[in-house]
Amino acid sequence: MSTLAETQRRVREAVVTGDAAPLADVLVGGRDPLNRLRIHQRHYETSLVTAVVGKFPATAWLVGTPFLTAAARQFVFDCPPKAPCIAEYGEEFPAFLASRPKAGGLPYLRSFAELEWSIGVVSIAIEHSPYRSDGLAHLDQTILPDVVVDLQPGLRYLRVEWPVDDLMKLYLTNSAPSEFVFAPDVAWLQIRGARGSFDLKRLELGDFVFREAILDGQSIGEAAERALDATTNFDPGRGLANLLAEGLVTASRVRPQEYGS
Amino acid sequence: MVATRPPVGWLEIHPENFLANPHATELLADLSRDYPISVHTVGVSVGSASGVDRRHLMRVRALIDAIDPALVSGHLAWSTHAGEYLNDLLPLPFNDETLRIVSAHIQEVQEALGRAYLLENPSTYVAFGTSTMGEADFLNEIVRRTGCQLLCDVSNVYLSARNMGYDAYEYIDGLSGDSIGELHLGGFNAEPDESTPGAEILVDTHATAVADPAWELYAYTIGRFGVKPTLIEWDNDIPALSTLLAEAARAEMTAQAASAKEPSHVDAR
Repeated sequence: MSTLAETQRRVREAVVTGDAAPLADVLVGGRDPLNRLRIHQRHYETSLVTAVVGKFPATAWLVGTPFLTAAARQFVFDCPPKAPCIAEYGEEFPAFLASRPKAGGLPYLRSFAELEWSIGVVSIAIEHSPYRSDGLAHLDQTILPDVVVDLQPGLRYLRVEWPVDDLMKLYLTNSAPSEFVFAPDVAWLQIRGARGSFDLKRLELGDFVFREAILDGQSIGEAAERALDATTNFDPGRGLANLLAEGLVTASRVRPQEYGS
Repeated sequence: MVATRPPVGWLEIHPENFLANPHATELLADLSRDYPISVHTVGVSVGSASGVDRRHLMRVRALIDAIDPALVSGHLAWSTHAGEYLNDLLPLPFNDETLRIVSAHIQEVQEALGRAYLLENPSTYVAFGTSTMGEADFLNEIVRRTGCQLLCDVSNVYLSARNMGYDAYEYIDGLSGDSIGELHLGGFNAEPDESTPGAEILVDTHATAVADPAWELYAYTIGRFGVKPTLIEWDNDIPALSTLLAEAARAEMTAQAASAKEPSHVDAR
């Protein structure tokens, strides 16, 4: 008698890859239980392909639904979900999609799909009450570089080699200009959202590096150093003030190991 | 739901639809102030030989702590294997090994969630030749070993009995009625059973109204075990809310009528 683990390994193979033959000696139900197992195979494929395709309507607009669906079908077989929250499934799909042989003619496809994924993620976030613009004024300015600030949960930063935000705006406004010039051009994007809405904004390089480092958990001083390494045009004081003025900061703390040392 | 607050007794949610969606969780917390909430897990996978996903369990616990649900339930099934989530409720063989594994996992779940878990009978299309006991006996033994309760999906009983060739009413008779804490009713669709020419197989779609034979089995179940909290499951091809409310009202009327008379095995069919 096969153990439960071995049985489940075989069922997993049948459901994901379609290879049900090793189960022929253990399944019962109707005259051909392997045929009935197709109900589970079908559910696995259909439910996940529907979930993935549903997260990338703008990408479907760009590449066509048949191409996107075929890629999603292959994706669910090659990359099954790792966790039960299907809302989290598909983050790797933009890279997978861009690796498809027929995607070679669209060098911006991965960035566009990653932008769409980010929009989806921030749009279901919530926003917390932000610090006032003078919210850090009470702090001793000598410890300000060691302060770590929390940002709104619905924030993502994305560096793109093509101006895919312009392309996204065409999709969102359902507009079709008579002429659209699309050429490589690096852009640093902030995607902010909450409760069903979102906002796309281009940043200067210094602000992008500074905010991305803050979001990554770096202190204000460390983030400023990174930004200054990226561009000497960055003004740390203004960068921090803008962060506060835009309502992006929700909490602050001084790193215990740094404070007082 | 948030805007209209219709007059329903309680609501049931899949936590997996909320754990990665803070905005939906915020709305759910709001609703939980007006409605009792039942949390019905689909990803806990108590039947997985590879174990229960502790991280997922902790996320469910956090949601439970936030909304304080009246009931928490899941399925006699498995959906994870070696770190993969297969997004389905897959069948189990009913034998001593599975009994030991599922019982241990339910105890782990109940300890992690800090409350009793209700276990739902599956919808079945295939079974295993390695089973050594019937599904109802298996569920009763799980209850005895773990102290969990049962969520009896009446539509699943009807569907599985039809698909696997046993008597749905005998199945209901075989359940430990004291342990039933909730009932489900859901729609299913018939499609050709390719394995048997001319025959149909019933597929648990939750995409249509509850079928008459399931209503009849529901009335019988109420007659046997008394009125229990009953949920109408309709989560695909979702209709207008009024349609869903009409199904819920039918369940309430059926339960009231059935509880007022003795169960009749023959008449109910």
